Amino acid sequence: MTNALSLPAYTEQAPEVQERFRRLKERPVILQVRDLVKDFRAADESPVRALDRISFHTHRREILCVIGPSGCGKSTLARVLAGLETATAGQVLVDGKPVTGPGPDRGMVFQSYTLFPWLTVLKNVMFGLELPEGASSSSAETQAREWIQLVGLSRFADAYPHQLSGGMKQRVAIARALATRPRILLMDEPFGALDAQTRAQMQGYLLQIWKNVDVTIVFITHDLDEAVYLADRILILDAHPGRVRELMEVAVPRPRTPEQVLSPAFVAARLHLQQLIHPTTEGRPIPMIRMTVVGDDVE
Amino acid sequence: MCAFGVPLVLWCLVSYVPFIWHPMVRVTDAGDVSWLSAGEIVEGDAFATENQAVAARGGRVARGTAANPVFLPAPHEVARALVTGFTTPPARPDEPWLHQALLHSIGTIFWGFLISSLVGVPLGIMCGALPSVARLHEPFIEFFRYLPAPAFGALAVAVLGINDAPKVAIIFIGTFFQQVLIIANTTRRLDVGLLEAAQTLGATPRQLLLRVVVPGVVAELYTDMRVLLGWAWTYLIVAELIGVSSGITYFINQQAKYRAYDKVFASIILIGLIGLGTDIVLASIGRQIFPWLRTSKAGWFSQLVRLALRRPRRTAAGAGEDEVVQASGMIG
Repeated sequence: MTNALSLPAYTEQAPEVQERFRRLKERPVILQVRDLVKDFRAADESPVRALDRISFHTHRREILCVIGPSGCGKSTLARVLAGLETATAGQVLVDGKPVTGPGPDRGMVFQSYTLFPWLTVLKNVMFGLELPEGASSSSAETQAREWIQLVGLSRFADAYPHQLSGGMKQRVAIARALATRPRILLMDEPFGALDAQTRAQMQGYLLQIWKNVDVTIVFITHDLDEAVYLADRILILDAHPGRVRELMEVAVPRPRTPEQVLSPAFVAARLHLQQLIHPTTEGRPIPMIRMTVVGDDVE
Repeated sequence: MCAFGVPLVLWCLVSYVPFIWHPMVRVTDAGDVSWLSAGEIVEGDAFATENQAVAARGGRVARGTAANPVFLPAPHEVARALVTGFTTPPARPDEPWLHQALLHSIGTIFWGFLISSLVGVPLGIMCGALPSVARLHEPFIEFFRYLPAPAFGALAVAVLGINDAPKVAIIFIGTFFQQVLIIANTTRRLDVGLLEAAQTLGATPRQLLLRVVVPGVVAELYTDMRVLLGWAWTYLIVAELIGVSSGITYFINQQAKYRAYDKVFASIILIGLIGLGTDIVLASIGRQIFPWLRTSKAGWFSQLVRLALRRPRRTAAGAGEDEVVQASGMIG
């Protein structure tokens, strides 16, 4: 199939892409995950292993997408990185310091809308800026307005979340997470609840925002195209238990454009992901059960 | 307002249509019946029997019109009592005026509810937010709320005397335990995602409580308080019978003794009106102070004006959405 379309191997990188990855790997390591294990213990049952010896690291200003079949522990990984869950074993280091709990150095955007409904857009973005002792509210407001402008919602600074569309809510959530100047932006399927068109738009916004901000992004998704479109590298997880299958370098050059979706490098990368995550069922008959009684005369 | 139409029409039918119910007779002319006098209301059967007896003796029969028992006054009588109730001095000098009785009752409710809320709201929020506090307090509160508040009447009088303090205590007991549990439950319903988001932004536990939990539940809590205030009113009548009877309950009982049932009805209706009025006012205040719950940008005042002008009503929610969708299109 790959030959029939005359696609390059997904590992094949154009010289400028090779150069880009060489420079990327020279940058300092921001996030380091070492032998991370996470067990969930249901009452009176043996523990279920959600994450099994996960190890990887990200460099400064890298976008790392985490992808895998459902049940592979993607969201658990994001929550452990955020500090919302504690690891059973292993280490998470941010700038060399171990993570012990949630903190403003790791911003998070959730799939469900988590804007504070009682605060306006402006106050939502100001929330994290006003938390430290002795924070001045006027400088928080100035900064918040800049972030709101960056996500293109200046006109809606005084609107309440219920007045915004889903895509706009997530842009505010991104602004709110970035406002505290985190080292890492964790995004747990942030566009999963949006329709396809809005999602494509949001991916464009995210890349634009990322271009202007010094932040490393760990982006959890189950959408193959989204992963290839956004990522420098893609961490592919296996399910039950969640293990690292492969850490793949995306050979699509930057800046990314929607047209690249049809480029050979993009298609090759996407096809590789598909083969890893949804292995072909060719040769294996799919077991079928007749669900309805159609009568003996049929066939 | 239609909801009030059906009972009112029924009441009017029973009161004004002579062949519906009207088991009594109001005597207009006593005739030769010795024990009747004009203006008296007697049972229809007795009236007929007596007239038969008088007719048999060849005397003058009594005359009268069909009437309802004295305990069912007609709407216009109650309406008159509602108006004159505030202008008629009490029958005896030591009795309260209607407005004095009402104010006394409102004061009892106010203090009982205020004291209950001052303790109950913070405790409820703490129970909802912190499982350890809930485990410490909730089992006992759960037990106590099944004890009927009036059962503590005798105890309250023994401890607090015979005046207003035991009445306030009964309202407190009736409200407080429900209040803690209801508010704890409301607090528990707060979206965990909001707490996690705040944590990832660097909020400390104290900040989580003060900046996320409290503002996150305050609007729901306000609605709970409106419901709980209704509960407090239901305990009022029992509370006012404890010790020295007082307030609107005393007023109603006195009027019943004088067989002034129009005033009894008027007082009962007043309680209902005060309750309903308070709730409507509180609801509209709620819409003003919790703007994020409001789908319309217009406040209650402009809505009232709009209603008064009887313009065709436009759904305000729809209008707000349109604007945002258009604007997002512009940005996109």
